[in-house]
Amino acid sequence: MLELKQVYGGYGKMTILNGTSFKIDKGTITTVIGPNGAGKSTVFKAIFGLLKIRSGNVILNGEDVTSLPPAKMLGKGVTYVPQGRNLFPMLSVRHNLEIGGISSGDQAKIAKRIDEVMEQFPILKEKAKEQAITLSGGQQKQLEIARALLLDPSLILIDEPSIGLSPQMINETFRTLIRLRDQGVTILMVEQNAKAALAMSDFGLVLEQGRSRMYDRADKLLADPRVGQLFLGAHLEEA
Amino acid sequence: MNTFFQLFVSGLATGSIYALAAIGFTLLWQASQTINFAQGEFIMLPAFFVLAGTQFLGLSFPVAMAIAVVLSLLLLGLGFKRIIIDPLLPHGVLPIVIATIALGILMKEGVKQFYTAEALPFPALFSDRTLNVLGAAISVQDIAVLLIALGAVALLQLFLNGTKIGRCMQATAQNPNVAEILGVPVRRMILYTFLINAGLAFLASVLISPIYLAKFSNGETLGLIAFIAAIVGGFNQIRGALAGGLLLGVIDNLSAAYVSASYRSAVPLILLIIIILVRPQGLLGKAEGRTV
Repeated sequence: MLELKQVYGGYGKMTILNGTSFKIDKGTITTVIGPNGAGKSTVFKAIFGLLKIRSGNVILNGEDVTSLPPAKMLGKGVTYVPQGRNLFPMLSVRHNLEIGGISSGDQAKIAKRIDEVMEQFPILKEKAKEQAITLSGGQQKQLEIARALLLDPSLILIDEPSIGLSPQMINETFRTLIRLRDQGVTILMVEQNAKAALAMSDFGLVLEQGRSRMYDRADKLLADPRVGQLFLGAHLEEA
Repeated sequence: MNTFFQLFVSGLATGSIYALAAIGFTLLWQASQTINFAQGEFIMLPAFFVLAGTQFLGLSFPVAMAIAVVLSLLLLGLGFKRIIIDPLLPHGVLPIVIATIALGILMKEGVKQFYTAEALPFPALFSDRTLNVLGAAISVQDIAVLLIALGAVALLQLFLNGTKIGRCMQATAQNPNVAEILGVPVRRMILYTFLINAGLAFLASVLISPIYLAKFSNGETLGLIAFIAAIVGGFNQIRGALAGGLLLGVIDNLSAAYVSASYRSAVPLILLIIIILVRPQGLLGKAEGRTV
C-alpha cells in the first residue's frame, strides 16, 4: 500500500528524517510511535507533499508519489488530518465537510457523499447548520475525521487524534478509526498515547531520530520492554 | 430635529464609504495578515484613472469608468499582491507595513507631480436634488451612496457565505494551512481577496470623489478614518468594519455640527483610544489568541 524508501528531509538546514524506511499494508492500522523530535509528524508531512523530500522515495500502490503536492495526493486517495484543531471555526459543520471535498471534480457526488458521511456521524448531522466552533473537542475531531472521508480515501494519515480529548472521546475516536479500517481504509497514525494506540492497532512502527527502528505487530511491540525504555529516554541499540 | 436627521443620514452615507475601505482592511488582514497603509491612496487613485480617461484620452465617462475598474483590479489588486505583498509576506507584518506606507506616499506624490495638485471636480453620479423625508431635506446623492455602498457589502456577504468560492476564501482566512491540506487553492483565494479590495476601493473612490472632489491628498484622511473604523468595529469582522465605518461617519458629521468643526478630526482618534482601552477587539470583533 505505502512504502517509504530511505527518505531524507527536514526544515531548512535541519535534517529530521534520516533515511526513514517502512512499509504498511492495505486495510490496516499502523501507529507510529517514538520520542519527541523523532520525526513522527514530519514523516506525515513528507508523505503528503508538505515537506520537500531531499532524497528517497514514497511509493503508493506501486506508484512513485515522492513530493507530489497535497492536491495531487488527495487525488491519489490520501488524506491527512494534522495535529491540533483543524477546522474552520466560523463555517458551519456542513460547510466544513464541503471544503473537505473541494478538490473533487464531481461536486454533485460530493454533495451526496456529505449526506452519506453524516449518516455515519449522527452528531454531525444533528449539528449540520451550527458553526464548527460550537462543537465539543471530541465532536470537532469527529468532524475532522468525517471531512477526511469525503473523497473516499484509501489511506488516512492522522496525527495525534487523541490530543486534548477526554478518555471517553479518545475511545470513541479510536472506535471510529477501527470501523474505518474494517471498511477497508488504511490508517497510518501518530500517537503520543502509545499504549492505547498500539492496543487498537494492527502494527506499530518505532521512529527514533528520523529512522525506523522497529516495525512489528502492535501486540508484540506492546510487550517489548525496549519500547518502554525508549519512552523513558533510552536509545535503541543499533540493529 | 430635522437638522439632526439630515446630518445623521449624510453621516451614514459618508460612513458607508468609510466602511467599504474598512472592509478592505479587514479582508486583506484576514486573508494574508496584510495591513495596507496605502488603503486611502487606493481610494484616491481610481478617480484619477477616470479623469485621465475623460480628459486626456477623450473617452466618454462610462467607458473611462469601465477602463478604470480594470486598471484598479490590475494595479491595486493583482499588481499590489504580486509586486509588493508576495515577496514581503514571508518576512512578517512589519516590512509590509513599511512598504505600504511608502507605496501610499509614492501614489500621492505621483498624482501630485504628474497629474495635478489641484482638487478636480468629479462628475456626479446622481442627481443633486433633495427629498423631503420626515421634514428633513435629504439629498438624493446621500441616499444613493448609502444604498450602493450597503448593497455592495450585502453582495459581498452573499458571495462569501453563499458560494463555494466565498466559503473557500473564508476557509483560507480562518486556517490557511488546513485549507491547503484539503486542496483549496489558497494562493488563488488570497488573490481574489486582493481583487475584491481593489473593487471596493474603486467603488469608494467614485462614490466619494463627487462629494469631496478628486485630490491627491484625499487618501490621508480616508485611509486614517477607514483604519480607525476597522479597529473600532473589529478588525477581524466584516460586519464590524461596516459598523465602525457607519459609526465614524455619523460621529464625524454630528461632532462637526454640534461640538466643534475645528476638532472634528480629533473625535475619531478619541473614539479609537476609548475602544482600544475598553474593548481592544473592537465593538463586534472577536478576541484572537496569540502564541508568545
